[in-house]
Amino acid sequence: MTRTVSRDDPRVLLESPATIYDAIPPYPPRSEREAEFYALRDGEMLVNLGPQHPSTHGVLRVVLKIDGEQVVDLDPVLGYLHRGIEKLAENADYHQAICYTDPLEYVSSLFNELAPVMAFEKLVEIEVPRRAEYIRILSCELLRIASHGLFTGWLALDLGGYAPILYGFIERDEIVEMLAALTGQRMLFNYMRIGGVNGDLNHEFMSRLGEWMSRAAREIAANQTLLNENEIFVRRTRGLGVIDRETALRLCLTGPALRATGVPYDIRRAHPYSVYPELEFDIPTRDEGDSYARYLLRLDEVKQSLRIIDQCLEQMPDGPCMAKIPRLIRPRPGRAFAAIESPRGQYACYAISDGTDQPFRFRIHDPSFVNLQSVGVLVPGNLIADTMAIMASLDPIMGGVDK
Amino acid sequence: MDTRLARRLEARFGARLLGPARGHLDETEIRIGPGDVAEVLRALHDEPEFGFRVLADLAGVDTGEVMQVVYHLWAEPTVTRDWLRVIVDGLSRDDPRCPSVTFLWKGAEWPEREAYDMFGIVFEGNRDLRRIYMPPDYTSFPLRKDFYLADDAARSAAEGVRHLEQMATPPEATPPVATRRSKVR
Repeated sequence: MTRTVSRDDPRVLLESPATIYDAIPPYPPRSEREAEFYALRDGEMLVNLGPQHPSTHGVLRVVLKIDGEQVVDLDPVLGYLHRGIEKLAENADYHQAICYTDPLEYVSSLFNELAPVMAFEKLVEIEVPRRAEYIRILSCELLRIASHGLFTGWLALDLGGYAPILYGFIERDEIVEMLAALTGQRMLFNYMRIGGVNGDLNHEFMSRLGEWMSRAAREIAANQTLLNENEIFVRRTRGLGVIDRETALRLCLTGPALRATGVPYDIRRAHPYSVYPELEFDIPTRDEGDSYARYLLRLDEVKQSLRIIDQCLEQMPDGPCMAKIPRLIRPRPGRAFAAIESPRGQYACYAISDGTDQPFRFRIHDPSFVNLQSVGVLVPGNLIADTMAIMASLDPIMGGVDK
Repeated sequence: MDTRLARRLEARFGARLLGPARGHLDETEIRIGPGDVAEVLRALHDEPEFGFRVLADLAGVDTGEVMQVVYHLWAEPTVTRDWLRVIVDGLSRDDPRCPSVTFLWKGAEWPEREAYDMFGIVFEGNRDLRRIYMPPDYTSFPLRKDFYLADDAARSAAEGVRHLEQMATPPEATPPVATRRSKVR
């Protein structure tokens, strides 16, 4: 005799097999911390956030341990976007390795290229023409404004405000179109070369830049008032995810998240590279160390970037934009480390050469990756809805986190 | 290379250093054995003479003969304008073990997990040492020089036949293939 089972029958649920959407992993704990995390006390439960969730900015899965509405602990699970860039680069020659780094932090790809290029230049010991250095800084600072503009929008989006992301994209689109005129690409530029840049400044780029610069400061300021004076936004971010100076240093935080706690650690001044010693700009810092401070700090940085672009255009020297280097590079055996300040913090590259035309080891240190682990300290004790606000204020890009 | 810093490091750590401090351009580097990691890094971090407060990078390296862990440290420009590179040299390739620095920088936890995931270096003292990028049932270490893509990758869940998070007993290990050895030491 067959018996039809009602959908409301609890046995149907019991018999359904485990899937990856179950928060508790189907294997014994691999570390002390994992055992501690997945042991639930009375009243606690686990909830998966992601991997496909709009507020995680990519494919990040966070297992939240919640008690009611409050997050007790969380366990980020990475690797959904892992492409093995470091391994790929070991099997490519020095020029090819650069283009692999483009899709790491895809909203600021020029920075991803700059650090490896600088490390390779140290290995090969090439002098980069000064015009190329200025063009690099000019394009990077433009992209920093675009990246910070998007950050503002994303932060508001995660708090439920839809309008700022549109303005962020308008701002980014103008800059990206400008850079497309310069590099030929809108997103993954592949513009930096060992010994210089791929092409000189051209007429279309300069006319677009000039037109944009004439109104940029005013428009950016206007966009910022959207959120700065928005009471909901301020009350949801102020005092949220507070971190103090000492903890931030111990957590290896860099970039705006560290400077929002009052440590003026910016590679552009802490360990100057390229032509930054010749440029005048300030390193804005704040003391509160909360989400709102991280937001305000980025607004201040945009103003400094505009100053830098002005000075770059003024001081731009004539000359070649590419050093004379061979097609196939075989650096002498050695090691080189180069770090730059990307919009998210210190972006570094450590390269080892063994005398062949391929890097022996190519290590990328990504600020998103290191900054993201501080959610384990910042989030517990807050509400689930505030998890997004804290995570967004660190501005992680999953392409960079997962490499 | 910052010769003043190099002399101070040699005076402070003496016989703990494997060879003299070296350097190139804006980098100064010292080498230590895995037994001295905790003491040397604690001294570099805590002592006001050095004050290397920022851990700029933590990387694993496989030279083909030994494993290394490489730390890059930053201090105020009044101390030095260089990056300080501390190379922990001579970890055996069969059983690489290195003390964790999470007692100094909690933020070293994930980079150490990454080095474990990619090279199999076990950081003693790291409370959360598990794979971070590769699936939990993965059995080999991709960035090691004897990693053989065709075999090692086929063993993983990336093959597509096994479920992402189910345990499986690892098949027989393939014999190691020719290793690319480094000329840099």
